[in-house]
Amino acid sequence: MLDVKGLRKEFGDLVAVRDLYFQLHPGDVFGFIGPNGAGKTTTIKMLATLLEPTAGTATLNGIDIVRHPEEVRPLLGYMPDFFGLYEGITVTEYLEFFAAAYRIPKSQRATVIENVLELTDLTVKKDAYVETLSRGMQQRLCLAKSLIHDPILLLLDEPASGLDPRARIEIKELIRELGAMGKIVLVSSHILPELADFCNKIGIIEKGELLVWGAVDEIVRQLQANRVLEIKPLGDAEPLIQRLEREPLVHGVEPRNGSLYVHFAGGLEEQADLLSALIRDGFRIATFREESLDLEDVFMRITKGEVS
Amino acid sequence: MKAKSENPLLAYHLFVFTRNRWRRQPLLYGAAAFGIALSYFFLFMLIATYEASLVVPLTIALLAICFAAPLMAYNLFSLEYEKHTWESLALTRLTAREILWGKWGVVLTRVAGLTLLFLPMLLVSEADSISAYAVIAGLLLVFSWGALLVSFGMWLSFKLKRTLSTASALYAGQVLVLLLTPVLYTLFTNNQARDVMPIYLVQSHSEAVWWWIFSFLHLRFLVDLNPFTTLLELSYLRDIYAFAYYDPYSERALYPYGLLYLKWGFTQSAFYLLLAALFAGLTYRGLKIAWRK
Repeated sequence: MLDVKGLRKEFGDLVAVRDLYFQLHPGDVFGFIGPNGAGKTTTIKMLATLLEPTAGTATLNGIDIVRHPEEVRPLLGYMPDFFGLYEGITVTEYLEFFAAAYRIPKSQRATVIENVLELTDLTVKKDAYVETLSRGMQQRLCLAKSLIHDPILLLLDEPASGLDPRARIEIKELIRELGAMGKIVLVSSHILPELADFCNKIGIIEKGELLVWGAVDEIVRQLQANRVLEIKPLGDAEPLIQRLEREPLVHGVEPRNGSLYVHFAGGLEEQADLLSALIRDGFRIATFREESLDLEDVFMRITKGEVS
Repeated sequence: MKAKSENPLLAYHLFVFTRNRWRRQPLLYGAAAFGIALSYFFLFMLIATYEASLVVPLTIALLAICFAAPLMAYNLFSLEYEKHTWESLALTRLTAREILWGKWGVVLTRVAGLTLLFLPMLLVSEADSISAYAVIAGLLLVFSWGALLVSFGMWLSFKLKRTLSTASALYAGQVLVLLLTPVLYTLFTNNQARDVMPIYLVQSHSEAVWWWIFSFLHLRFLVDLNPFTTLLELSYLRDIYAFAYYDPYSERALYPYGLLYLKWGFTQSAFYLLLAALFAGLTYRGLKIAWRK
């Protein structure tokens, strides 16, 4: 389990990360969302033991990352946002180098390398020189390197940046698979639709502050306490607007593109009652639906677009 | 017995990268190797034919080291930063000591290899009066100057994190230390310090110690620790057997004895190696702190 306890990082007067608290369990795929400069990379670097926090700490399976970085490092895999690969060697040689650097016994290296190549779908490229790989393949090779020592925590900083659509889909599939393998995956991105597909938990950070974190469904539910209903009437909308404004649970009506967007404070029961009442009153309704929130809506509602 | 731990950095830099370069561009590397071999053979023949002074191959070796050593070290760490590979390396189980030895060991091995390449040339120079002391001191001097250059380069590369800046600093630093400083010193002092305590007057170990202290106090070490001037002085050691007896009217017999008491060549080498160790230590300390190793 990854337990982050009051993690804070200051650079002089600038507070890059403010007292973060969250917990992740095996199998969690945590989407770490925030605008550029929000503190995502700083947080990931601290969790990767590359940057010492100013205050607070985190434990991975009970091991303190600040006090025992050397013990934590074999348990984590890290893929930085700007990563590089050693050139002039083949894919297999590259992985052999890191297998040796992670002290994987010589007798096991061939099998381990074969497994990560298969997982990252790079087997056909095992004899290719690293610099001849496409950007997407290099990304997968970097991931393969991060997986070679079988870490329990994976820190992936913007893993899909700069990739073409196919490579993005492949990386998404891979991350989903890693979560299914029981690894804790923390993946940062500012491209929200790609995270929505495979994260079961999210955290939104802005100005170094974790504004919200938890299960995706839970956060969406919290934010939808004040629902927005889309009602599309047939015919003149004005009488319907006047009728809706008399409803005590309606807090506002916005006409847009032939539909009415109604801010409604009730639950599902009250929605059904409202629809019945409107039909009873003779209004002809073509569409009546609750606008559902996606990650982009959640992000836009929570953040203010500020950087630390 | 504890198994000897593997250092993949050393192995990969020494063998895998080099082997792959040859595999990928055999014509280019083959042509370069052929050119170097041809030049080497040409020089070898010249030295053997004319029985050139020992100083000639040693000076060529030193020039080769001055040129090649910065190329070996200028990107040792800066490339890790520029290519964004250092984080991956820092997170492995390699210790700071292993990372340092992996990189430093590779360049020291290359410097040693390059130095030894000149041994055959030394052996065919001055065939009749070759001095074992001068050969050993000369080779050690060349190697230790190379070791100092690569160690300083490694530290600079770690501190500056920029390949181009490191390379420029290394070459400019050599011009400053090897050329400008001795020239300026000689211009301003008119070599007076040397007249106060000449080398031929040093006839015991205690005098040698005082001579070195004197050299430091009068800033004469700017010349005495220069590897090129050190090499020039080594040529006097061939006379040591020809002038074995004390000759009050000639300084020539005493001069090489003075050099011997001063441990000429070895003292400078020890100084360079000490500095090299200092820079390696600073790099090690930097790795421990910056990479949290």
